[in-house]
Amino acid sequence: MADVELRQVVKRFGKVEVVPGIDLKIRDEEFIVLVGPSGCGKSTVLRMVAGLEGITSGEILIGGRVVNQVSPKDRNVAMVFQNYALYPHMTVRENMGFSLKMRGESREDIATHVAEAARILELTPYLDRKPSELSGGQRQRVAMGRAIVRSPDVFLFDEPLSNLDAQLRTQMRMELRKMHLRLKTTTIYVTHDQIEAMTLADRIVILKGGDIQQVGTPIEVFEKPANAFVARFIGNPPMNILEGVFRICDGKRFVEVGKSVFPVPDGRGAVLADGAPVLAGIRPDSIKMGDSIEKLPREWWCRGEVVVSEVLGGQSHLEIVIDGENELIAEVEGRVVAHPGEIVPIGFEFDRMALFDPETTLAVD
Amino acid sequence: MVLIGVFVYGFIGNTVWTSMTDWGGSGSLALDPEKHFIGLDNYVDLFTGFLSGGFRQDLVNAVYYSLMLLGGAVGLGMFIAILLDRKPWGEGFLRTVFLYPMSLSFIVSGTIWRWLLAPQGGVNVLPTYAGLKPLHFDWLSSTGAVLVFNWQHLFSVLLYVAAFFMILLGLWGMRHDPRKAIRRWLVPGIVVGAATWLFGGLLPDALFMEEEHGFNLATLGIIIATIWQYSGYTMALYLAGFNGISQDLRDAAMLDGAGEVGYYRHVAIPMLKPITISAVIILSHISLKMFDLIFAMTGPDNAETGHPALTMYLTTFRANDFARGAAIAVVLFLVAATFIIPYLVSQYKQRRRG
Ligand SMILES: Nc1ncnc2c1ncn2[C@@H]1O[C@H](COP(=O)(O)OP(=O)(O)OP(=O)(O)O)[C@@H](O)[C@H]1O
Ligand SMILES: [Mg+2]
Repeated sequence: MADVELRQVVKRFGKVEVVPGIDLKIRDEEFIVLVGPSGCGKSTVLRMVAGLEGITSGEILIGGRVVNQVSPKDRNVAMVFQNYALYPHMTVRENMGFSLKMRGESREDIATHVAEAARILELTPYLDRKPSELSGGQRQRVAMGRAIVRSPDVFLFDEPLSNLDAQLRTQMRMELRKMHLRLKTTTIYVTHDQIEAMTLADRIVILKGGDIQQVGTPIEVFEKPANAFVARFIGNPPMNILEGVFRICDGKRFVEVGKSVFPVPDGRGAVLADGAPVLAGIRPDSIKMGDSIEKLPREWWCRGEVVVSEVLGGQSHLEIVIDGENELIAEVEGRVVAHPGEIVPIGFEFDRMALFDPETTLAVD
Repeated sequence: MVLIGVFVYGFIGNTVWTSMTDWGGSGSLALDPEKHFIGLDNYVDLFTGFLSGGFRQDLVNAVYYSLMLLGGAVGLGMFIAILLDRKPWGEGFLRTVFLYPMSLSFIVSGTIWRWLLAPQGGVNVLPTYAGLKPLHFDWLSSTGAVLVFNWQHLFSVLLYVAAFFMILLGLWGMRHDPRKAIRRWLVPGIVVGAATWLFGGLLPDALFMEEEHGFNLATLGIIIATIWQYSGYTMALYLAGFNGISQDLRDAAMLDGAGEVGYYRHVAIPMLKPITISAVIILSHISLKMFDLIFAMTGPDNAETGHPALTMYLTTFRANDFARGAAIAVVLFLVAATFIIPYLVSQYKQRRRG
């Protein structure tokens, strides 16, 4: 159990600056998920915390202790790798007990700890098998077992579920969540799976080009993205972002996007002046159709033409065009029936609309 | 398949048959030489005959030679590979340097080493550069011998060696599965050892006279040369193996607290067991067939550094004693088989299990 802190951590590989200097405080027992596009430095950050990669400058603290000069084995962190990195010549039992053996624990202690971890992960029947004789999901659990046997201060996961099929991934996600509720070990988890990030995280850290874009709870980053990048990155289908102009007319405030007019509720965009260019962000799920538009104010309604519809069962993704020119992706309930070419009434939850400055792409309050 | 059958197994069969005849001596080069079947007489003579002491020494040489070459080349090759695996500066260059001896023919390297190990040259004068006295070791012509045993007691010696290895295996196995280790290896090992010690006198003497054989120090030079030539090869094998181990596995070992030494000891080297096995098989072959290097370094007639393959050549083509030459060849073949058959058996078992 420990908190982790990164202070102005910089990482350069030769001349290439991969991490330009990040600050991050991770509380004890917290489950932090790092997300970001490929190559943004997620693995690098994780490896720096593990001590597998040196840091160019800055400080990393684990449990209040600066660990810049501490070797990986003395940091008391455990890592689960994307390809599991199990020792192929050892049995499951030996794999899980290896770290304890290296720490010079007695044979009995190792046996007890391994048995306990195997019980939690339901690996007991496989203890004497080699990794090559296991399925992907079982290997994944062995990798986790190897991490939990020695009760580390911090767990590090680098895309641990990405080699599993969709069903198994969902199941393991649940188990990970349960494991964290039970062990409460501080965890840093790298993924580029949206759902994993949203379901597992206490807080999500969004990285881009090695720099932190936003840190917040899943709801915060979803509803209040700090900038247009986060808005597009989090959420699937991504947020609709339209270029428009902010208007104040007769005390009413709205965003003009071509012929469309999106009202801005009170308390939002207070710093904007009339005529200021602005980006309007509309979540696909804030677009409503069918009965549910009844709850919305009349002036938040309009009509749109359905271009394409993708039925997923629980929901449908629709591409609609409003006012003949603005294309939007909408996510509506599955029972709403919409055929391409139909003109249907739609409603917007404009209180959830996000506004961004087109220059800086930062969110405007 | 048919060709392989004829050319490999047919010739082996022919050699075995030849080894049981008395083809040799004055009429042996006649177009249609006289051959008589004489059973195992050639073998009996090789192992117990009065005049075959040279062959017995050769065999002892070959055993020591193989063991030291294996230990030396595998150990040194692995060591260099580990150093290079740490990615020192100039790794690519160093790798070439170490691999280079492999590309030399044995005759060339034999000549180089002959010069290096000459009594007044090369290695012996090295210390003088550091202001020390020159060495006076006769690398290739020393007549000293260590680990001497009497051929008469061959059987007891073999039993002692077997007992020793069984006890060693047992002690080693204790860590995994003490009960099995004790039952399988430790107890039988001790019993065999003790029995040999107590009742060794009852064993038949292998020879009617005393005949001492040991590790001739003169072979040391040849062993050094061979190790020099082959450790580059084992290094390349291991280095390729180490490079094939994923970075993640190394990282995992570091996080598990193995450290550099632990990583190689517990992860990398055990993972490369197949490479070690092939290296051992290839090297033991080479050492059994060793011919040109010895020929180049000490010449064909140096009894101290004799080697069965060399003797075979001399017996067959210089003394024209084809039958005896064939018998030596068969002995070599059997010795080689004792190296390979356990490997094949274990492979087969694994295949069936997997
Ligand atoms: N050893 C290295 N030497 C030079 N550059 C490196 C090294 N390791 C990583 N990089 C670079 O650093 C950047 C970040 O890499 P990193 O592996 O952290 O990305 P990532 O966010 O984990 O990506 P992914 O999602 O694809 O795993 C990449 O541009 C990569 O090319
Ligand atoms: Mg990565």
